[in-house]
Amino acid sequence: MKPRASGWMFAAPYLTLFTAFVIGPLLFGFALSLFRWELLSNVKPTFVGFENYAEAFRDPYVHQALGATLRFVWMAVPATILLALVIATGLNAVAGKRQGFWRAAIYVPHLLTVSVAGILWRWFYNKEFGILNALLRPIGIEIPWLSDPAWAMPAIVLMTLWWTLGGPSVVLLSGLQNIPVSYLEAASLDGATPVQRYFRIILPLMRPVLLFVTVMHVIGGFQVFGQVYMITRGGPELSTRSLVQYIYETAFNNYRMGYAAALSWILFAVIALFTLVQFRLMREERS
Amino acid sequence: MNKKSLRLFSAEVAMGVGSLFFVIPCLLLVLAAFKPDSEIVKFQGILPKQWTIANFQEVLGNPEEIPLLRWLLNSVIISISTATLVLTVSSLAAWSMARLRLPGKPVVYGIVLATLMVPGQILLVPIYLLLNTLGWLDTPLALIVPAAGGAFGVFMLHQFFLGIPKDLEEAAALDGCSRLSTFMNVIVPLSRAPMATLFIFTFVGSWNDFLGPLVFLDSLERYTLPVGIALFQTSYYTEYGLTLAASLLCTLPTFIAFMIFQRQIISGMAASGMKE
Repeated sequence: MKPRASGWMFAAPYLTLFTAFVIGPLLFGFALSLFRWELLSNVKPTFVGFENYAEAFRDPYVHQALGATLRFVWMAVPATILLALVIATGLNAVAGKRQGFWRAAIYVPHLLTVSVAGILWRWFYNKEFGILNALLRPIGIEIPWLSDPAWAMPAIVLMTLWWTLGGPSVVLLSGLQNIPVSYLEAASLDGATPVQRYFRIILPLMRPVLLFVTVMHVIGGFQVFGQVYMITRGGPELSTRSLVQYIYETAFNNYRMGYAAALSWILFAVIALFTLVQFRLMREERS
Repeated sequence: MNKKSLRLFSAEVAMGVGSLFFVIPCLLLVLAAFKPDSEIVKFQGILPKQWTIANFQEVLGNPEEIPLLRWLLNSVIISISTATLVLTVSSLAAWSMARLRLPGKPVVYGIVLATLMVPGQILLVPIYLLLNTLGWLDTPLALIVPAAGGAFGVFMLHQFFLGIPKDLEEAAALDGCSRLSTFMNVIVPLSRAPMATLFIFTFVGSWNDFLGPLVFLDSLERYTLPVGIALFQTSYYTEYGLTLAASLLCTLPTFIAFMIFQRQIISGMAASGMKE
């Protein structure tokens, strides 16, 4: 085929949108982060260099939001991976048609959109009439789920597990199903017990999928927003306010666009850092 | 053999017990929607003592204050338009990058791929200001058009197109097909599966998007379902029955779609996690 000038024409619509809504905003956002730029204010946008970043490093609310986000990631991600692996293993052990049924049952919560899931769990967690305390009260326990900073984040994490476990379980299940049966048969012939087979053959073969799922969930975890916004609005005492919620409030409640842009770049840097570390680990594991 | 069937049985029992954690909260939502408020704000057992459809009547009978069907329509329009636009522009771009000789292609494709790493929130503030300038805030365009700049569809289809044998296209070109008709008549029919996956993914992503509509939309009758429902939290704070009935209604279309497309959704989900 001879090169023809028309080639780029096919890519042009996408590349236009890509430039306008990805590359442009990316550069504009970075420029914005170097300005004091406030909507609804008389102050004209002024160039302040890295002052917004410097402010972010001093800002106690940033520390708090970063801490809450890290706590969410730390509580939710390992539990997600471990439980998804258990569920996938269980699903894999169930044969044929029944497997599809259980798989769908576990996936069902994810059909609820985040505001519905949030409303539902806020009701479950209600201290006076929520079902969780109604069930715990007969044994003399009453937990202030959403009003105690010690309980609020675990409550968010529990709801998140319920809401999101279906996805990684399905992915890990297909990982398990991709393991050649011959490997497992060979191991059995060599006298490996099922437990040995699981830890010596299945898990090592699953490592790439497990690491991939972990990376994806760490990235997603750092971006947590919807369920926190719906269930606690960041409370009590800002103990569950995530970085994304803080960015949202800085930009759209306080209209400090420059500062919010700087905060988003910091979030990006944190995510990129964790992703790089994980990819490094992944490569080391392999070699 | 006996041992094997015992193991199968215990796996079934374990799955049965475990799945209760996932299913029971959904059942509670369904049951609560049929309870009068008095039973919701004072726990009186899991089943409604007195079944009622008053919650639904109130939610649906008040389109001025609770335009639930309007939100549903908005969600449908926005999700379908987004998925269609993404599929169209991404597939054309992916194909031209995979097949046609484009000067500078590796650089362009490299930049596109690099943006896969960028979390969406980082674009939120600059896109808001851009949409403000364009006058698109509080219109469906604010949610539809920027989504089409995303790199995921290009990346996914590019990988797939590379795997299609070139002979087919060359034969079509020899037969005098134009590039566009080669694309439409040869490539598209061969790519139904990944295209369907991309469409469903984009649709679901757009349907569930929360932050976007929360930031870009402003008026009650323009909301999508997720933000509309979220509004209940603030406006109908104490009316749990109403809120839960609206929540249930808003989940029904998703549930029905899932029942129909379950296999595609789940296998697409699994496939997206497997490619690495």
